[in-house]
Amino acid sequence: MSTAAIGFLYAGATLGVMFSGMPIAFALGAVAVLFMAFFMPGASLDTVTQNVYEEMASITLLSIPLFILKGAAIGKSRAGQDLYSAMHAWMHKIPGGLGIANVFACAIFAAMAGSSPATCSAIGSAGIPEMRRRGYSGGFAAGIIAAGGTLGILLPPSITMILYAVAAEQSLGRLFLAGIGPGLLLVTLFAIYAGVRFRQEYAAAKRAYEAGGARSPILAEDTYTMAQRLGTLHRVLPFIILLTGVMVALYGGYATPSETAGLGGVLALGLIAAVYGVWRPRDLEPILSATIRESTMLMLIIGMSLLYSYVMSYLHISQAAAQAIVALQLSKWVLLAAILLLVVVLGFFLPPVSIILMTAPIILPPLKAAGFDLVWFGIAMTIVMEMGLIHPPVGLNIFVIKNIAPEIPLGDVIWGTVPFVLLMALAIVLLCLFPGIATWLPDAVMGVK
Amino acid sequence: MVLGGVALIAASLVLTYSVVARYVLKIATDWQDESAVFLLVGTTFLCAAAVQARRGHVGIEAVASLLSERANRLRLVAVDVMSAAFCAFFAWKSWTLFHEAWIDDQHSTSSWGPPLWIPYSLMAAGMTLLTLQIALQLARGLTSRQQADTRASTGSAVQGGAPTPGSAADAVIHQKAPEGSAR
Amino acid sequence: AQTLKISHQFPGGTVDEGDFRDRLCRKFAQELEKRSNGGLVAQVYPGSSLMKTNSQFSALRKGALDLSFYPLPYAGGEVVETNIGLMPCLVTSYEQAAAWKKAPIGRKITEIMNAKGIVMVSWVWQSGGVASRERPLLSPEDAKGMKVRGGSREFDLMLKAAGAATLSLPSNESYAAMQTGACDAVVTSSTSLISFHLDELSKGFTSGQGRSFWFMLEPLMMSKTIFDALPKPQQDLIMQIGEEMESFGTEGAKADDKQVEEVFRKAGAKVVVMDEPTLGKWRTIARDTAWKDYANRNATCAELLKLAEGMA
Ligand code: NA
Ligand code: NA
Repeated sequence: MSTAAIGFLYAGATLGVMFSGMPIAFALGAVAVLFMAFFMPGASLDTVTQNVYEEMASITLLSIPLFILKGAAIGKSRAGQDLYSAMHAWMHKIPGGLGIANVFACAIFAAMAGSSPATCSAIGSAGIPEMRRRGYSGGFAAGIIAAGGTLGILLPPSITMILYAVAAEQSLGRLFLAGIGPGLLLVTLFAIYAGVRFRQEYAAAKRAYEAGGARSPILAEDTYTMAQRLGTLHRVLPFIILLTGVMVALYGGYATPSETAGLGGVLALGLIAAVYGVWRPRDLEPILSATIRESTMLMLIIGMSLLYSYVMSYLHISQAAAQAIVALQLSKWVLLAAILLLVVVLGFFLPPVSIILMTAPIILPPLKAAGFDLVWFGIAMTIVMEMGLIHPPVGLNIFVIKNIAPEIPLGDVIWGTVPFVLLMALAIVLLCLFPGIATWLPDAVMGVK
Repeated sequence: MVLGGVALIAASLVLTYSVVARYVLKIATDWQDESAVFLLVGTTFLCAAAVQARRGHVGIEAVASLLSERANRLRLVAVDVMSAAFCAFFAWKSWTLFHEAWIDDQHSTSSWGPPLWIPYSLMAAGMTLLTLQIALQLARGLTSRQQADTRASTGSAVQGGAPTPGSAADAVIHQKAPEGSAR
Repeated sequence: AQTLKISHQFPGGTVDEGDFRDRLCRKFAQELEKRSNGGLVAQVYPGSSLMKTNSQFSALRKGALDLSFYPLPYAGGEVVETNIGLMPCLVTSYEQAAAWKKAPIGRKITEIMNAKGIVMVSWVWQSGGVASRERPLLSPEDAKGMKVRGGSREFDLMLKAAGAATLSLPSNESYAAMQTGACDAVVTSSTSLISFHLDELSKGFTSGQGRSFWFMLEPLMMSKTIFDALPKPQQDLIMQIGEEMESFGTEGAKADDKQVEEVFRKAGAKVVVMDEPTLGKWRTIARDTAWKDYANRNATCAELLKLAEGMA
């Protein structure tokens, strides 16, 4: 059978099994093992478990549960609510202030964590209930967190950029700096959209109320005096301590990136114990069980998707697709578009880490030959992979949201993320028109290449 | 799951100690990363069954609304059969891996160099528990129409009843109220 | 035609450009296809794009992977004897390294690997150096109080004895850790020092050009199961091309030793080279720590070490 035929069969089988409702982790693993049995040497089946173990036994990857723990400690204790009420007091005058606050919170957490699902989970576990409480629609709330969470791999540090830098032989420092401009661009776009969408939902709720319907909490008008606002500030203090603690440890050279994950968890637990008296096993139980449920679900999906991508790589599927595109001898910008499109399609099935490992060696040389700056391309590719994190069927952030807020129907979550996917596409267009968005900062700091 | 929580905190403490050891005590840090990895791998696999008990492994339930009740019940049985088969295969291969590591006395390549049968056994035990848990849910689904219906409508309902044999973690969960109420 | 899969962990490129270890694999593939008249085709999977580094060795043993260009000591967890491939101060020059293959030590290694289901196709050695944030790490006295990523058990043992605080760190986190200062110095191959761009962060550099305490055996290896199933002429062809690639590998490694020096010098780092007396100081420490530790693992290890010491 030709590689293309196997490729389509693989994709078809995956879609079929996934839409049957089989848990994603088992679906990915089962399809991989099945194709191994049919299309690969028999000995491959003996390597299944070791492959999964080796992929998972990396402290970089395993820092995800610890980042989730840190997020849950804040999000599931009163710390999260206090933080949001303080932010509300300061930002309630801005339409969609709470939504915007959540976008900012995602960006800040993204600067501490290298992975997107961890960012999504950390901010979402307090952010989504809070937005729902204040009348935001499920899709809107989920969209903000899912999209905001993707910033985890665009704003440094970033697991995927580390892999990209090695594969593309580019400077990691330059790449990290290049992510900041586009990251801020996305933050701005998301925040503007949050404001606009809030106005729409507000207007709709107002019409419904005036037509005699129920009064949505979105219509609530709170007023705060300056004294009240200042009074909320001390509630933000624990969060600021945590943030600076982790930042100092990471950027001050006290901890390696993975150690930061553990340190953050300990600091967060310490803080809620000291400030909110959350330390008894009974108090910690909900935090820990939420962390476990989320991280176990996520880590199994990641582990199995690495097995899935091993089979895909062995059968040369994505490599053949990338080679086919390269062989077309396209002109500069068409080549770029084709390659980014391929990344979008791969994003249907694969997490960013696998996409980079499989395609980078093939797509990078022709891009370089076509005259693209590979640092710039790394950023464009990262944004495209961020899209993959929030579009189905395999979108890690969507699964995280599904877990945090099971009451929001999956359809609403997915529709809620669509506008953000479009904004990311817009960001890529802007990045093509004004490459300086990415390249200005590294050039300014490290000198022009 | 309780053990998992403790393991997570332990992993965090180990990594924090690593920072302190290097900065304050100025000593080499060689076992911390890897023991944190073992704790986290162990947590992931050993808690997989407990998460499954609550149907916590996310799947795409999009077709549920398109099918009849009867078809949905059949679909869920098929899904559980496939999941159980895959997990059983994985558990079996994990035990083989464990066996190899044990006989060859394989160690990790780091300077600490702990034996690899430790994480492999955690993985194997976890996947075995997971298989048993799915099999149990499958058996229950086949015997009780009602439960299958509940599950089809919510997608993440908590299963009641007897704990999985041999799984202490499950026994804890089954006595708990549905997690959703805590949120 | 039978397709052979070659996996490695290094950055991918083309046959003429990029990391020499990737180029070696591609050249090997090219020659193989040409000289077998298309009977054998090889696909190269660079940058761990097929499987994780550590999985490659056991996949070779099981016959799930055909070939791999793999740092031999990485297999130390499964086959403890392979740690001889990165023993501090044991091999200190390319001339010494090149003599291993045909000497008793080389034959013993080939025999051990065969028993484990591996065929040694091409013997490539690589020298390495040290990138450091502040002063260069040259003599054992320099190591005192430094936070160093040694990269292997044996190097960690030696560095610890010299007073360094060693830390375990995934290689892809080296940059971030050096940037923040969580780590003061990184010991690794010249090629990796270039591809990790550590020059951007370094004020000191200990070059591995000509002489070094860090020499690693990085062979192209083949699964014995797969090899034995091939007809004799194809087996001979593989071994022959493998041998031809060795000089290409050595040239590539030496070129990188030279290039890495230039790269660090250009970035403003103080570049130092190890002289024989300094190397001697390290060797004294290594003998009491790393070598002793290795020899105590089992009788085969002790025998290998003895054979290797005879090469010096
Ligand atoms: Na980040
Ligand atoms: Na996706």
